[in-house]
Amino acid sequence: MTSAERGGTAAGGPSELAQLAARSGLKKVGSRPGLPEYVRTLWARRHFLWVLSTSRSYSRNQNNYLGQLWSVLSPLTLAAVYYLVFGLLLDTRAGTTNYPGFLTIGVFIFMAIAASMTAGSTAVTSNITMVRALDFPRAVLPLSVALSEMLTLLPAIGVMIVIVLLTGEPITVTWLLLPVALVLILLFSAGCAMIAARVVVAARDLRNLIPVAIRLLRYVSGVFFSIEAYAGRFEWGFVLEYQPVAVYLTLMRSVLLQDVAVDPTMWLTGLAWAVVLFLVGFVVFWSAEEKYGRD
Amino acid sequence: MAATDDAFEEIDFEDDDDLDDGAPERAKQDADAERTPSVVVDDVHVRYRVFGGRKRVSGPEMGRIRAMFNRSRRHVGAVTEVHAVRGVSFVAHHGESIGIIGRNGAGKSTLLRAIAGLMPTSSGAVYVAGTSSLLGVNAALVSSLTGERNVMIGGLALGLTPAQVRERFDDIVEFAGIGDFIDLPMKAYSSGMAARLRFAISTAAVPDVLMIDEALATGDAEFRERSAKKIEEIRGHAGTVFLVSHSMRSIERMCDRAIWIEQGQVVADGPAREITAEYRKATKKG
Repeated sequence: MTSAERGGTAAGGPSELAQLAARSGLKKVGSRPGLPEYVRTLWARRHFLWVLSTSRSYSRNQNNYLGQLWSVLSPLTLAAVYYLVFGLLLDTRAGTTNYPGFLTIGVFIFMAIAASMTAGSTAVTSNITMVRALDFPRAVLPLSVALSEMLTLLPAIGVMIVIVLLTGEPITVTWLLLPVALVLILLFSAGCAMIAARVVVAARDLRNLIPVAIRLLRYVSGVFFSIEAYAGRFEWGFVLEYQPVAVYLTLMRSVLLQDVAVDPTMWLTGLAWAVVLFLVGFVVFWSAEEKYGRD
Repeated sequence: MAATDDAFEEIDFEDDDDLDDGAPERAKQDADAERTPSVVVDDVHVRYRVFGGRKRVSGPEMGRIRAMFNRSRRHVGAVTEVHAVRGVSFVAHHGESIGIIGRNGAGKSTLLRAIAGLMPTSSGAVYVAGTSSLLGVNAALVSSLTGERNVMIGGLALGLTPAQVRERFDDIVEFAGIGDFIDLPMKAYSSGMAARLRFAISTAAVPDVLMIDEALATGDAEFRERSAKKIEEIRGHAGTVFLVSHSMRSIERMCDRAIWIEQGQVVADGPAREITAEYRKATKKG
């Protein structure tokens, strides 16, 4: 057989080849790097993460005539629909003084968090061609999902501020906390996206449960009603108030609306949720790094 | 992604069946000892799961209930495990280009992905010197984005800095030869144009090990000529090139070694001309 002429490392079995590789200083392919090394390679690809996120967020509205105008129009129309249903028809205005502002903030922020979870859950599985074509730290995928949702949220924040101003809220010092709240939300969404992506890769059937979970969250997070006014009468009402999504809605409202007070406990809770979810999500995602791309 | 200049390869292959060729192998091994290996593939197995379908299992002696159970399994729990690569080993050295041939479904592409580290091995290991880059027909980037964005994304994913990508941008576009289309979304590209652009992006950062999966088949004659030159250039930088192709002529032209794979196992490994001749004979007969 021709292989004889061409030669091979002798028949000693796997260990001999492994020794040869070690002697020649070759690196093993596809093994999971240690956590510090992983963070370092991820940092080296930060431009990749940024370009991927901005491009995704931009391309979303590129396939129609009005193009990027939709990044402002979509949230506007959505706010109008929610106001019609919950403000006028169902009237869940109890406990709020500026319901249009309250509702707009709730809807926009919740939408961004929910979108991160949904898109995050398929961050690896729907980019499988990229995973199988290019070698990069896979955490870029869920992170870019969260980042691009945050970038999509920015024009909506502009709309939100205009609505809030139109409803008569003054600009106060607390508005300076707006970027802080957004960073906390970004960290939290990124953590959720990484966990969801990891879980769906391991058991893809769970993808079908994500919309269910999001619907549940929508109704228990006080998106269009004040938790304090409606659930406060139950003993376990505090569970609803301190679950992360509700916390972030309250934070945003306390920044922009006068009748919601800035509460240090809430801010600390928000910070804790963000840091814990992000770190747990990162480690959970990293722990399966070498397995992505198998299915 | 640039390069430690030490990646080349040559393939020493050993399949269990071929291991008896003791003496000549030893002699060759001495010759190889002077060259540094760039890729070592050590008894690699790759299994992956496919969702959405299941192979039919049937037999005359199968009971009715089992048959019914099997039929229903095509609708619930339709997951099949494919054992695509079954124990492949070889050593590749610097400065070599290796053709991988075999029938459709023989496991060639899966093997390349495993070498590139893009698909995990279920047992065995792959060792590579330096950086590797896989270029495949289905390596779609983001089709809703323009070619220009994809050049940026692809370049950054390969580990270039934004400045490096901008610096090479004109070269990439010129090499791909797609002109104004660079500003249109990639979904508007013909398959040949998309393949050209991918080839241009993947070779923008000169990898130590370049793997090409049928990507040249879609290009026109002129582009094939240009890409052949590019491959020569990479080998000239002491890189290693793997080429999967069904065109025996391009294997003979561009490769000095060939590995023939059938059903996930190596059938033969040696000088390209000899192996392709054997393969031609076998396929004609078969």
